[in-house]
Amino acid sequence: MPEVTYREAVRDALTHALRTDERVFLMGEDIGEMGGSMGVTQGLLDEFGPKRIRNTPISEMAIVGTGIGSAMQGMRPVVEIMYEDFLTLSMEQLVNQAAKHRTMSGGQVSVPLTIRTQGGAGWSPGAQHAQQLEAWFVHVPGLKVVFASTPADVRGLLWASIQDENPVLFFEHRTLYPIKGEVPDELEPIPLGRARIHREGEDVTVVATGRLVHEALEAAEAAEQEGISVEVVDPRTLQPLDEETILESVRKTTRCVTAHEAVTRGGFGAELAAVVQHGAFDWLDAPIERVGAKFGPLPFAPALEQWVVPHAADVLDAVRRTVARA
Amino acid sequence: MATVEEKAGSGGRRVSEEVLKGFFREMLLIRRFEEKVEERFRAGELPGFLHVAIGQEAAATGVCAALERDDVIASTHRAHAHAIAKGTPVERIMAELYGKVEGCSRGYGGSMHLYDVAVGNLGANAVVAGGIPGIVGAALAFQMRGEPRVAVAFFGDGATNTGTFHESLNLAQLWKVPAVFSLENNGWAESTPARQQLPLPVDELAKRALAYGMKTIEADGQDVEAVYLAALAAREHAVAGKGPVLVHLRTHRLTGHYVGDPQVYRDKDELRRERETKDPIELLRARLELSESELETIDAAATAEVTAAVEFAKAGTDPPPEDALKYVYA
Amino acid sequence: MAVEVKLPRLGQGMEAGTIVRWLKSEGENVVKGDPLYELDTDKVTQEVEAEADGVLLKIVVSDGEVDVGTTVGVIGAEGEEVSLEPPEPQPAEPSEPKETPAEEAARRAVEGEREEPAEPSDRSSQGRAVEREPSAPRGAPAAAEARGRMKASPLARRIARERGIELASLRGTGPDGRIVAEDVERGAAPSRPAPAEAPAVGEVEVVELNSIRRTIARRLTEAWEAPVFQLTVTADASELVATREQTLALVAEGDVKPTVNDVLTRVVAAALVQHRAVNAHFVEGQIRRHSAAHVGIAVATPNGLVVPVIRDADRKTVREIASARADLVSRAREGKLQLQDLEDGTFTISNLGMYGIEQFVAVLNPPQVAILAVGAIADRSLVVDGELEVAPTMTMTLTCDHRAIDGSEGAEFLRTVKAFVEAPALAL
Repeated sequence: MPEVTYREAVRDALTHALRTDERVFLMGEDIGEMGGSMGVTQGLLDEFGPKRIRNTPISEMAIVGTGIGSAMQGMRPVVEIMYEDFLTLSMEQLVNQAAKHRTMSGGQVSVPLTIRTQGGAGWSPGAQHAQQLEAWFVHVPGLKVVFASTPADVRGLLWASIQDENPVLFFEHRTLYPIKGEVPDELEPIPLGRARIHREGEDVTVVATGRLVHEALEAAEAAEQEGISVEVVDPRTLQPLDEETILESVRKTTRCVTAHEAVTRGGFGAELAAVVQHGAFDWLDAPIERVGAKFGPLPFAPALEQWVVPHAADVLDAVRRTVARA
Repeated sequence: MATVEEKAGSGGRRVSEEVLKGFFREMLLIRRFEEKVEERFRAGELPGFLHVAIGQEAAATGVCAALERDDVIASTHRAHAHAIAKGTPVERIMAELYGKVEGCSRGYGGSMHLYDVAVGNLGANAVVAGGIPGIVGAALAFQMRGEPRVAVAFFGDGATNTGTFHESLNLAQLWKVPAVFSLENNGWAESTPARQQLPLPVDELAKRALAYGMKTIEADGQDVEAVYLAALAAREHAVAGKGPVLVHLRTHRLTGHYVGDPQVYRDKDELRRERETKDPIELLRARLELSESELETIDAAATAEVTAAVEFAKAGTDPPPEDALKYVYA
Repeated sequence: MAVEVKLPRLGQGMEAGTIVRWLKSEGENVVKGDPLYELDTDKVTQEVEAEADGVLLKIVVSDGEVDVGTTVGVIGAEGEEVSLEPPEPQPAEPSEPKETPAEEAARRAVEGEREEPAEPSDRSSQGRAVEREPSAPRGAPAAAEARGRMKASPLARRIARERGIELASLRGTGPDGRIVAEDVERGAAPSRPAPAEAPAVGEVEVVELNSIRRTIARRLTEAWEAPVFQLTVTADASELVATREQTLALVAEGDVKPTVNDVLTRVVAAALVQHRAVNAHFVEGQIRRHSAAHVGIAVATPNGLVVPVIRDADRKTVREIASARADLVSRAREGKLQLQDLEDGTFTISNLGMYGIEQFVAVLNPPQVAILAVGAIADRSLVVDGELEVAPTMTMTLTCDHRAIDGSEGAEFLRTVKAFVEAPALAL
């Protein structure tokens, strides 16, 4: 199986979609000649031209709204929001319009729109270019939320998201773009709503998303040395959530840790903890631990950023706490 | 390229008496509908918010008459007139206001979310300017597919202050999409008069489109013929690929913002003068050759249609509660 | 045709308004559109217009708060008769206050926490030791439960429940002493060596805890947590024995024969009412001193230890005590004790003298704050007024809960007991 980077995997999914479905087109800032600020759309303008790879002004509200309107007319737009921090500028259209058109119309319209965006800390981007806001969108009925962590997952899931009839928030992570991973020769669609077990274990389940999937795997290796067997599960789709896989895992291990880069308070881990507490209550042998960033805007200095954001060591500590004795 | 302000009616076009009579019938239907809605609301039968378009009938009728069936519109919170003018039967709108399954949005939308995709109504919107970017998108789709269709956004003067409005006009003009922005300028954003929200004179509001190099057409929003001609011209321009058009209609809201609004913020004498001199239906009636009995017939027909709509709505079916989440995801 | 003027709904969410004043009077002509009355809503005071032409025949509500839809007036033709429907009565407020969520949680905590179901008063097959105090009032339980609550993970609780293991008998190795699953798994196996009887070669006899033993285990484990101290005295039992003999002489044929212990029970009861600090319970952080002495007698039965109670022992004669004691003991041995036989004890006497035990320390019987362990009466040497003598003596050890009793209080009580033992007439 070929090995590609996460970035290449995203581009691959977009290319496939553009080639096979004339309804698909891209809109975003700097996605044309520049190939996107993260380099994801490099080469696409040359292949598909400016009518399908549309550079836009800095107008998140209008870009997303235009995506909505054209999707309602049967196109398949894929809108790139340069940094997920800028989703805030398009919230009205995402939350009040895209998520609600279908319900408000009594099912007359659908909005098959995909919004791709990226975020996360690393290399000191500063507080306004580093957020992880996926939890907000899980809270809006009508939206789907995907957060893939490996090249194979991101490729298969982006393809499936573009095919989905609903508005999908597709989160990528900036520090994952360069990572390499094996992908199948042929693009394999991955259905939304299915978790993936990256590593099997017996003693504690770590449910991780985004960059923290990789931190969790690193922590699992270390835990193994200490005699703790860790199972790592990546939900991949946050909405709809594959509760069954997660609950089955916790019922097996009896302990659970959630891990994401987003701030712990009100983060997706809170929802996971509630789901696990409810569905696996009688199987829990320890309180559920949540790993996430500390509660503050991300500071600039590298030492400060390092401290605020969670790493493998934090996941390992949490794992240890679940098996701790007095 | 500088925009040219066109006054509707120039170029020698006129509208036939028959067509005008058709406009009159529709506008009176809208009026009776809105009055009935007010009445039923006061009787406590209608849940939610209601905003009626009494005084703004010509803006709705004139613009929609200029459109083809597969042109699309998006409206505002004050949407009943647009919905009727675009072709949804009044009984289906009334049923929607009563929250019944027979309503045009199956009871899921209500007054501010009237959709009827079959006749090109992409929805009313409770968020000011909320529907405008979507119209840019619809127009973009038509352009990309080479379809001779236009997308029309209705909005008021209040919406022209939002970021959404500016971003949308900017992008629409940049990509020259076949959109028509129909600005129904009644000088009020709920209780806020023009002088508290617009830094330029209210009658010059179309200049905002100049900032984007967009063509504008001016028309008296209370003169349905002028509105119709303006809309026709705008449509022609847009569908020919020449770019979007802002149609500026100076109109008058002869009621409160919402049903029940006592309009404490409005000068009562001025309101009374407007009602006496700016009623688009009265203005049209004065121009038409209509006998008393013809008038009575038309009025009776409108009233009857509206009354029947209420009966239809009241006899309708409440949506089953277990279907509340039926349309969340496709 | 008269038209009723009803209070209109003037805004979404408006349910009532207050009529401030009428702008037209009864009998006045009104034209549709005329301002009819002033209405105060949440947001603003405004004029409400007449919706019909005619004469204002009647003002039904002249002022005050009115619900939307209520008829406030009537407009009609001059001279028309007006008859109105009587106003609908307002729906009554529900009378019983709803449980607050906290109260509901507390109630569920109590109901869920019962590790053994509440027993009906009739016990058929076996006597049972009293399981818990009569339940605390509904408002308090959550706090009580929390204080006495066993920390155990949900998983540990489930395994314990499924296997009938008492959590209280386990030691938790999790953080903060939390019992985790492993503790339950480990606890299911007995941690002490097998009992004295030699098992058959190669076999281990496993004695499963019956419910009495489980309860004993649980309660005495709780007792083990109390900070205790013991006080010991040795008393000359001659007079005690003599008193018993005198009482015996008064007993009719067929009546229960009083024992020395019955006399002891009587004198201890007398001491208890004089030293109510020792005649007390320690419950929920409170010391509850009782005025009556309900003395429990520890009785060994084939099924385990039970402590039936002789109520008001301080007001019974020795013969009455003997009679009560005999009845309780026989019923205990037959497994026929009722709940009321086991309730309300304020003090316990445990006597292992019949086994030749000289002295021992008894474990508290919670929530009682003290227990007296009595050893065998045996002739021993004593020093009296500097002279060596031999007398029947009895050693008694008082175990006290230091949360409720200080050394001096326990000592004073025990001194009185000794005094009464040595001169029962003082107590009777």
